[in-house]
Amino acid sequence: MVRTLSAPRATTTVNWVRAVLLIAAGTLGLGMLVGNAQRGPITLGTVLEILVGWTFVACGIFLWARRPANRLGPLMTTVGMLWLLGRTMTLVSIPVVYTAGLWLTDLWGAGFAAFLLSFPTGRLTSRADLAIVGIFLFVTVPLEFLWLLFLVPANGLNALGLAADPNAAQVIDRIQRVLISLGAVLLVISLGWRWLRSSGPVRRQMAPVLVGAVAILLQSASWIFLSSGTSLDLLDDLIFVAQIAIPIAVLSVMLRSRMARAGVADLVVELGRTPTPARLRDALANALGDPTLQVAYWSSTEDRFVDAAGEPMDLPEDGTRQAVTLLERNGVPEAAIIHDAILLEEPGLIASVASAMRLAVENDRLTAEVEAQLQEVRASRARIVEAGDLERRRVERDLHDGAQQRLVSLSLELQVARRALGDGGDPAVRRSLDRAAEEALSALAELRDLALGIHPLILTESGLGEAVESLADRTSVDVSVDVGADRYPPAVEGAAYFVISEALANVTKYAKATKAVVRVRGLDDHLSIEVEDDGIGGADPRSGSGLRGLADRLAALDGTITVVSPTGGGTRISAQIPIIRPTPAPV
Amino acid sequence: MSTILIIDDDPRFRTQARDLLEADGFIVIGQAADGASGLEAAQSLRPDFVLLDIGLPDVEGFEVARSLAIDGPPPLVVLTSSRDARAYGRRLSNGHALGFIPKERISGAAIRALVDRG
Repeated sequence: MVRTLSAPRATTTVNWVRAVLLIAAGTLGLGMLVGNAQRGPITLGTVLEILVGWTFVACGIFLWARRPANRLGPLMTTVGMLWLLGRTMTLVSIPVVYTAGLWLTDLWGAGFAAFLLSFPTGRLTSRADLAIVGIFLFVTVPLEFLWLLFLVPANGLNALGLAADPNAAQVIDRIQRVLISLGAVLLVISLGWRWLRSSGPVRRQMAPVLVGAVAILLQSASWIFLSSGTSLDLLDDLIFVAQIAIPIAVLSVMLRSRMARAGVADLVVELGRTPTPARLRDALANALGDPTLQVAYWSSTEDRFVDAAGEPMDLPEDGTRQAVTLLERNGVPEAAIIHDAILLEEPGLIASVASAMRLAVENDRLTAEVEAQLQEVRASRARIVEAGDLERRRVERDLHDGAQQRLVSLSLELQVARRALGDGGDPAVRRSLDRAAEEALSALAELRDLALGIHPLILTESGLGEAVESLADRTSVDVSVDVGADRYPPAVEGAAYFVISEALANVTKYAKATKAVVRVRGLDDHLSIEVEDDGIGGADPRSGSGLRGLADRLAALDGTITVVSPTGGGTRISAQIPIIRPTPAPV
Repeated sequence: MSTILIIDDDPRFRTQARDLLEADGFIVIGQAADGASGLEAAQSLRPDFVLLDIGLPDVEGFEVARSLAIDGPPPLVVLTSSRDARAYGRRLSNGHALGFIPKERISGAAIRALVDRG
């Protein structure tokens, strides 16, 4: 994947600086070649030595040009220039130049340590890393100065050699070598620790700097054990080769994304299982090979990032070892992945992982939304049934208070009139009054049937048991009732009553049954209802609106109804109604 | 001749019931419009029968019937309502009342039929 650069264009001045540095490095390298040639035949070591400087400068300048915002390019260039400058100057037979050359050659070590530790941002962030570079600087600046004061070089060229004392110089040299070795050990520990704790992509990225750290350790070790003046050309050459390979490897890591995508595939699979926040973090850490990875979630109520437990969480600042990849939706942050800054060099990988996580976050959000809507629909369905029940009660009461009372009154008035006539009066009027009284009575009876069908008062007044007894009394077949006197929430009693009422109506109308049984059991959390008859069976719950409507009514309470009606084998209707109702949503 | 007290909040019903029952040979010795005054009237008038509406404004007729049964010697209570018996089920046969007659069926004969049955 090609990374598109969004950094500002380098100014012409910077381009000039880089061009001059490149030419200077070339010239210095050639100078080294010439200077060494004057002293004897050119060895492989000399060529490698020049190549180390050139590689650092070339790779540094290339990185600097391609990634102007990253400090690593200029740092690599500086390290290369120190190398070339110092080593060329030690070939010049002028005391000041020679002495400065010695100094710069050793100062190179501090630059190299800083380069390794500041990978990949070019910035030193942790105190430990600053301290390690500090050790190198201490050795190469004040101690170096002290050493130069006493040094008596073989060629006699020491501009600083004020108090020539070979013994003092050697002691200081020993101290320098031990300290450098210590710094190198710490350098390896720091980078090695970071490498050990990482996996996959991060490890692959860190490989070159780790090799560099090992190289510096080997070199300092060789200085200690070979300090008697002997030199191990092969080891030196090997270290040179390593030092040539490091900047090339770093450059290639920085500019090319070549990460395996297997981790991302695993991540997508894991995300498909809607993982817990902890598992999501682990999956992300795995995919990115970064065990320090954290996930922060945006809390719109607190207007800040929080962790999975809802505790406030601060994002790391720019330029530290950690970087933040934000997941946004319509410009509003949703989540943030906090990961090792090295991964910024793998923009393709980060983008894939972020996309996968965005899908998961979006999925969670939609699921929560649908769940909330479903809850709301359930609650509103329950409220509709409840409102319907209330309305039925109101209509029944209105019928009672109004039309029913008036028909009673009319009926009584007609009887009073008929009684007043006695056997006297016009027989036609007497017959008419009798008929009117009969009419009034049957109108009243019909109205009462209607009112009872709309809402049985006995259910609210006396409960399910008595209401079902009353139903059974009015059913033409023999019904045995086993209900009990317990009371339940009105909606539950209402639903149960209408199930039993409809079932008994079917027994009378279709089943050709001789007897039926009604059983109601109040269990811990639900009411269990059974209506059984010994009729012809063959009832189809899908045909006819009666049972269908009941199923809807029960579903509104999260209840269920089952009809078992084999032909010739009777009919058994069972229903379950939860007693704890779903919490109604606020209106 | 039996005496009877009518307790009902509807004055029109009280008039109609009085006319019918007197025509059937009962002596209506008092009328009350709610449970509390009905109990007082029963206490002072000591009727043989009480025609008691179930749906009174202050207290249910069932409660009044229970109270009447406590202060001895109890009158024979006939419960009535413009609803029919299906609305009340077993509450009608709890022992404190002689029986139930829906309002449109009120007559001396109906009350006597209850007495004969009970």
